[in-house]
Amino acid sequence: MKSIKRCQLVMTLFLLGFLVGLGVLTARIYKDAPFYITHSDNYRLGRVYDRYDDVLFDGTNKIDKPANYLIDVGNLIGDDKGQMENTLVAQNIDKLSNYSFNSGINSKDGKAAIYTTLDHTANRAAYNAFQGADGCIAAYNYKTGELLVCTSLPNIDIRNGYAGIENMKSGTLMPKAMYGTVPGSTQKVSTVITAMEILGQEGLFAKSYSCGGYFMNGTGGKIDCHNSWGHGTQNIQQAVENSCNPFFAQLIEDGDMPLESITEVYTRLGYDVSNSKDEEDEETEQEYIDIDGIQCFKASTTLTDTSDFSTQWGCIGQGETLASPIQLMMWQSAIANGTGKMTMPHLIEKVTDVEGNVTETAHTEYSEQLFSSETAASVKQILLTNGANHYQYSIPGYKVAIKSGTAQVKNGAEENALLVGFVDDKDFPIAFCVVLENKYSTPAVAENIVTTMLNSLSR
Amino acid sequence: MSGVLSYLLSCIFVVAVHGSMLMSVYNNGNYASVNDVITLSAAVVLLDAVYFVIMPFFKQRTYAVDFMLLLILNMSMIFQSCFGGVHFETKHFITIIAALVSCRIGYILCRNHRWIQTKKKFLWAGIGILLVVIFLFTGDRSMWIDFGFMSIQPSEFIKPLLVLACATSIAEQQNRHKVMEFNVVYDNLIVFGITAVVILFQWWCRDLGSIPTFAAIYASCFFMRICYPKAKFSRKTIIIAGSVVAVAAIIGIILAPAYVKARLFADIWSNPNEDGYQQTKALIAIAEGGWFGKGAGNGFLHEVFAYESDIVFATISEEWGLLFAIMTVFMLLLIVAMPLVNPPRSYYHGTMCAGVCAAFTMQMALNIFGSCNMIPFTGVTLPFISAGGSSMVVSGLMIGMIVAAQSPVFANPSKKKNNKKKRRKV
Amino acid sequence: MEVTLYTAALLDICAIVLIFTSYMEKRSGKKVWSKLANDMELADENHVYHLECDEILIGRHASADIRLQDMSVSRYHAMLNVTDGKWMITDIGSKSGLFVNGEPVRHVRIYEGDVITLGNRNLIFRKRRVQK
Repeated sequence: MKSIKRCQLVMTLFLLGFLVGLGVLTARIYKDAPFYITHSDNYRLGRVYDRYDDVLFDGTNKIDKPANYLIDVGNLIGDDKGQMENTLVAQNIDKLSNYSFNSGINSKDGKAAIYTTLDHTANRAAYNAFQGADGCIAAYNYKTGELLVCTSLPNIDIRNGYAGIENMKSGTLMPKAMYGTVPGSTQKVSTVITAMEILGQEGLFAKSYSCGGYFMNGTGGKIDCHNSWGHGTQNIQQAVENSCNPFFAQLIEDGDMPLESITEVYTRLGYDVSNSKDEEDEETEQEYIDIDGIQCFKASTTLTDTSDFSTQWGCIGQGETLASPIQLMMWQSAIANGTGKMTMPHLIEKVTDVEGNVTETAHTEYSEQLFSSETAASVKQILLTNGANHYQYSIPGYKVAIKSGTAQVKNGAEENALLVGFVDDKDFPIAFCVVLENKYSTPAVAENIVTTMLNSLSR
Repeated sequence: MSGVLSYLLSCIFVVAVHGSMLMSVYNNGNYASVNDVITLSAAVVLLDAVYFVIMPFFKQRTYAVDFMLLLILNMSMIFQSCFGGVHFETKHFITIIAALVSCRIGYILCRNHRWIQTKKKFLWAGIGILLVVIFLFTGDRSMWIDFGFMSIQPSEFIKPLLVLACATSIAEQQNRHKVMEFNVVYDNLIVFGITAVVILFQWWCRDLGSIPTFAAIYASCFFMRICYPKAKFSRKTIIIAGSVVAVAAIIGIILAPAYVKARLFADIWSNPNEDGYQQTKALIAIAEGGWFGKGAGNGFLHEVFAYESDIVFATISEEWGLLFAIMTVFMLLLIVAMPLVNPPRSYYHGTMCAGVCAAFTMQMALNIFGSCNMIPFTGVTLPFISAGGSSMVVSGLMIGMIVAAQSPVFANPSKKKNNKKKRRKV
Repeated sequence: MEVTLYTAALLDICAIVLIFTSYMEKRSGKKVWSKLANDMELADENHVYHLECDEILIGRHASADIRLQDMSVSRYHAMLNVTDGKWMITDIGSKSGLFVNGEPVRHVRIYEGDVITLGNRNLIFRKRRVQK
């Protein structure tokens, strides 16, 4: 009867409403449980391994290793304490969730883990080679993008906790390779690429400028050379090998190098180029290079006028130019590959869930075309020649393409030594960048650090 | 013959479920000595057995709802006895028996709908008395009357009375009066008035949690009355009106002032130790339990306030698993959904069942969704599962109404009253 | 975990058994009802109307239990109700009146074989016939 049916209809509506709610609730709980569980006292994270299954992080804090065993990777791997945000664990904490709703919290020996591409032994060797000096080093396989070494000093072993955090040296809690630094003459690699892109290989090699120890530029600024006797007349190959500042100042000022073209190539390379001299430039959104969630500083510089002092200094690697060691290293990969495309570095090789199933595996990715392959080949030749002529004995046993740099920081009070380059060997394709801070205060030498690291990597 | 067979089959399966749960307690539970488990098992099985023996003496036409009630009550007994370690929860056992008794009372009162309809004035008076009692005896804007040895929540008892007051027969709906061009059914006005008074009173008491339940009971009854007085409400009108209300509600939520929104969409996780303490703990407990739970008595949620009443769904979920908790809720739904399988034979019973269904689903929704932070947390009880005498007795009464609708008695109350009714009708 | 799973499965089966019980009760309830309602039905030329609850509204409106789509029938025309196997019919404010065997009535008991007239429509009140 309709009247009774109507009662049943009303009941059905109420029941259906409730059931829909219950369905939504169940779905929501199922979806959000991994988040809820992070607030639980019984919750533990999984592990982080290096490429040879050495444990770099364990949610249960059961790494039975000597003190400071993890001091080379502490500020890169990080932990879940919330002190360091820009670290692998902090940014990928959900992948370490040793929990699934299917088994509840009972799964005591969950297999959730991140397998990184890092080589802990090589990291440690490089760390030791700094001999306590501050600085950082990064290296990766420019064919696959596996980040093999990324350490910085000072550093911490996360197992020690954060007691005495107020006395820690600045930079302890950040992976320095990810942050901007003054590139010094390593910036000249970018400038060579830029000039090559604008002038072409023959056009650039046709240019020669003379260096008399300094150069008075078009606006009356004085660009000093590190060799006060001057280098005489040089072509681009000699200028790179001499790292001659006046040469590059004159190259920038050359009428064949319009500012728009320089800006265009720099932007393509990934610089955040500011064209205004105003310090109070409107705050643009800072962009980052993303390495498995870790934010890596993106290079920036200021270009206002090709005959301007600070613009020229910017292209030489001082002034307002900043770049992160990782990015310097990535540009090397674009040269080393011979394609003009960077290999994007990655840190996570694979991820396993609580039951040990692989949920994620890494793939090699490349950037957009930064410059032509012809440019890549020419610059590669210039850098290889530089390496062969000057680093044959300091980095023995490897066919390296390299560019050194000296960056003045703290208004010239300290000088950082930099080396960027790559090993030109298809079986050992390593691109690297090292920054040795305050190079005169330490017995460590950048070349030795690179050699030690390469030896350790090729063991 | 098949009746006897299905009766026995039901008995066996109800006991089997309880036995299986007790086995689970024995295997996975957290108990100090096996004696605790044996005591509990003995009590549960004994109650089952006694009930199975007593029930046939009532000579009802149907027993399915009674089986379900017993199933759920003893499940509830096992749940409650295991929170924080297996023990015998004597108080809960007493309230369970009270619920069974009140179910019988509800059945006896409501099985003859003609008789209960003649008593509507007493229902109205009952609601009035309860309101006065709340007004006089509960503490300062609280909802409890404290007797020292026990405390009672009088507002709970309004629920079954309101359900009965809202239920109506077609004859009553055709008893129209002409008041200034309008055809008016007095009963409709009275019910509306009563609901309004009750809701306003609850608002005054700050017993906001029970308002939606009263509103749901009235909504179901309104839906069933709206068709009859003048027959002008087509299905289309109702659908349009419903969607207008829904849209208005959505717009209202969107345009609501900031503090209302803050209450509705509070971010409990930003400060889990303050406002949303119970909800966050409940959600963490559910997450820890997973699908299959930690085992009876192994949870941590029994350390949180109101673990046995307001957030009981999460406590069960933690110890027995979300799967089992949801299935328990399904059983609760099934009880009130029984009139869909075996429909009532009179409109009064139909509307009564709908009212019970509305009250139950709304209360379950408030409890479960509230404790899981889908809607504001109000602190109402989950029928039959939560500990608490008032709630248990009242829920029992309401299930008694469903039993009554399944096994109705059609008899005229007495000649005299019948004549009176006839005169009024003609 | 397995024990919980078995318990859950058993609970499921128990629910199904109880629903089945209820279904059986529905069938036995039908017999009881037809005894209670004297096993009657209403019929016209085209339709048979079962009488399945104790109050039955006859009218033109869509919400009426027995709907007669004829303009001569009021929206709510008459109501049937049953007590102890005795069926009564009541005129509930119809415009065209209610007739049983041609006699205008307001409230009267009806017997097997009575013809009920609502406007232009005639309904026969008869014993229920077994459906083919």
